[in-house]
Amino acid sequence: MKTWLTHHLQALRATLTQMLATPFSSLFTLFAIGITLSLPAGMAVMLDNATQVASNLPNPNEISIYMDDNATPADIKKLQTTLSTRTDIAHTQFVDKQTALTQISQQLGLTRLVNELPKNPLPDAWIITPADTDAQHITQLVSTLQKFPHVALVQADYKWSQRLDAILQLGHDLFTLLAGILAVALAAITSNTIRLQISTRHAEIEVSRLIGATDRYIRRPFLYFGALQGLLGGMIAWGVVFVSTQLLTPQVQHLATLYATTFSIQPLSLMQSAALLLISTALGWIGAYFAVSRSLARIEKR
Amino acid sequence: MIGLEKVSKRYPNGHDALKDITLEIETGEMVFLTGHSGAGKSTLIKLIAAIERPTSGTIYVNNHQLGKMRRAAIPYLRRNMGLVFQDHKLLFDRSVMQNVLLPLEIAGFTHHDAHARARAALDKVGLLAREKAYPIALSGGEQQRLCIARAVVSRPALLLADEPTGNLDNEYATDIMLMFKAFHQAGTTIVISTHDQAAIKSGAGRIVHLDHGKIIS
Ligand SMILES: Nc1ncnc2c1ncn2[C@@H]1O[C@H](COP(=O)(O)OP(=O)(O)OP(=O)(O)O)[C@@H](O)[C@H]1O
Ligand SMILES: [Mg+2]
Repeated sequence: MKTWLTHHLQALRATLTQMLATPFSSLFTLFAIGITLSLPAGMAVMLDNATQVASNLPNPNEISIYMDDNATPADIKKLQTTLSTRTDIAHTQFVDKQTALTQISQQLGLTRLVNELPKNPLPDAWIITPADTDAQHITQLVSTLQKFPHVALVQADYKWSQRLDAILQLGHDLFTLLAGILAVALAAITSNTIRLQISTRHAEIEVSRLIGATDRYIRRPFLYFGALQGLLGGMIAWGVVFVSTQLLTPQVQHLATLYATTFSIQPLSLMQSAALLLISTALGWIGAYFAVSRSLARIEKR
Repeated sequence: MIGLEKVSKRYPNGHDALKDITLEIETGEMVFLTGHSGAGKSTLIKLIAAIERPTSGTIYVNNHQLGKMRRAAIPYLRRNMGLVFQDHKLLFDRSVMQNVLLPLEIAGFTHHDAHARARAALDKVGLLAREKAYPIALSGGEQQRLCIARAVVSRPALLLADEPTGNLDNEYATDIMLMFKAFHQAGTTIVISTHDQAAIKSGAGRIVHLDHGKIIS
C-alpha cells in the first residue's frame, strides 16, 4: 500500500516537473486540446438550448377549428357531440368568440380599442388534441374536420413542428459525429506528445528496465501525463464554452425581449461538465496508453 | 544460486558467443570471470541477468528457471540483483544522488528511507561529497564507482559486475576490489568479469576462464 502510494506520488511529481520543464509547448498542447473539445461541448450547449426553446413553444400538435360567422349555438352543440365521440381526438376545448376577444385584448393591452369595436371580429373556435400525432393521421383528421358543416378553417402547425424536430435530430447526429471525430483527434494529440516525451527519455526507460522496473512502473508517469493533460484541456474547453455563453447572453436576452419572452442561455450543466472532464481525462489516458505500449514494444525489440 | 546447463548463445548475426557452457555458482561465492576481449564474459553476465536469452540450454537463478519465467516476473528477479554494466548506463540528466535513488524508487522505498540508503551507498564508494554533481562532471573512475553504488544500494543478494575496474588505474582498481571483497564478506554472491591480474591472483575467489565462448579449466 505504502509502495503503491509512493509510486503514484513519484509519477505525479514527475509529470508536473515534465510539464513545467516546457511550459510553452505544454500550454500550446493544452490549448489545442481545449479548443478541440470546446467544439462538441459548445455544440451540446447550443442543442440543449434549442431543444429547450422548442419544448416551450405552444403544443405543435394542437389543431384549431374556426367556425364561420353564421354558426348558431345549436350548430356548435352538434359539432361538440360529434367531436367528443370521435376516437381519434384525445381532447377538445371550446373557446367562444367573446372569451377569445377578452383574452386578446388583455394580452395586448388594447382593452379600450377592443371596446370600441362595433362587432367582435373573432370566430368561435375549438382547440383539439389529436390522439395520433403522426403526420398521416393529422392530415387525415384535418381534411375530415374541414368537411363538417359551418367549419370555416382548420389549422394544424404540425409541419412546422416536424421540421423543427428534424433539424434538432440532425443537430444531434452532427454532434455525435463531430464528437467521435474529435475524440479520435484528441487521443492522437495526446499520443503524439507522449511519443515525443518517450523519445527524450529513452535512456531512462532502458536503464529502469534493466534494474527491475515493471512495465506498469514505466507506463505510469506517461499515463498520468496523458490523463492530466486531458483533464486540463477539458477545463480549458469548459472555460471557452462558459465565456462564450456569457458573451452571447446579452444578445440572446435582447432577442428574447423582442419576442416578448424571457430566455437565457443555460451553460453546461453539472452533469455535462463532469462528463466533459471525465471524457477528456479518459481520452488523454487512452492516447497515452497506446503511445507507451507501442514505444515500449519497439524498445523491447532492440 | 546460479546454474547453467549446456548453455549456448548465438547472436542474430550468426556469431557463437558462448558454446555449451555448464557452470554452477554457490550462494555466497565470489567468482572472477576472465578471458580475452570477445571471449563472451559480458554475454554470460547478460544471460544470468535475463537481459539476453540463451539459444539453447537452461539457466537457473535463485531456483528459478529463467526460460520458464513469465515476462512480468523478470523485473522482480532483477531487483534481487545488483548490476554493474561495462558501459555504466548512468543517466546523464540526473544527479549522482538521483542515479542512486532510481533502483530504490523502482522498488517503492519511501522518500525518507531511499535517501538514507542512497547516502550510505554513496558514502561507501566515496562519492557522498559529489551527490549533487551530474555524471558528466565525474571522472571515469568516479562514474564506475557511481555505477557500483547504484548496484549495491538495494543490498542485493547477487552482484553481477562487468569489468568494474575496466578503465581505472591500479590504485583505484585495488580500492574497488576491496569494496567487492567487503560485500562478499557480508554474504553477497558476486560475479565479476575482469582483466585485473592483481585481483585474480589475490586468490580471493574462484576463477572461471573463458576462451572463444568455452570454459577452460
Ligand atoms: N549484440 C551482439 N550482436 C552480435 N554479436 C555480439 C553482440 N554482443 C556481443 N557480440 C559478440 O559476441 C562475442 C562475445 O562478446 P562479449 O561482449 O560477451 O565479450 P567480452 O568477453 O565481454 O569482451 P570484452 O572483454 O571486450 O568486453 C564478441 O565476439 C562480440 O562481437
Ligand atoms: Mg565485455
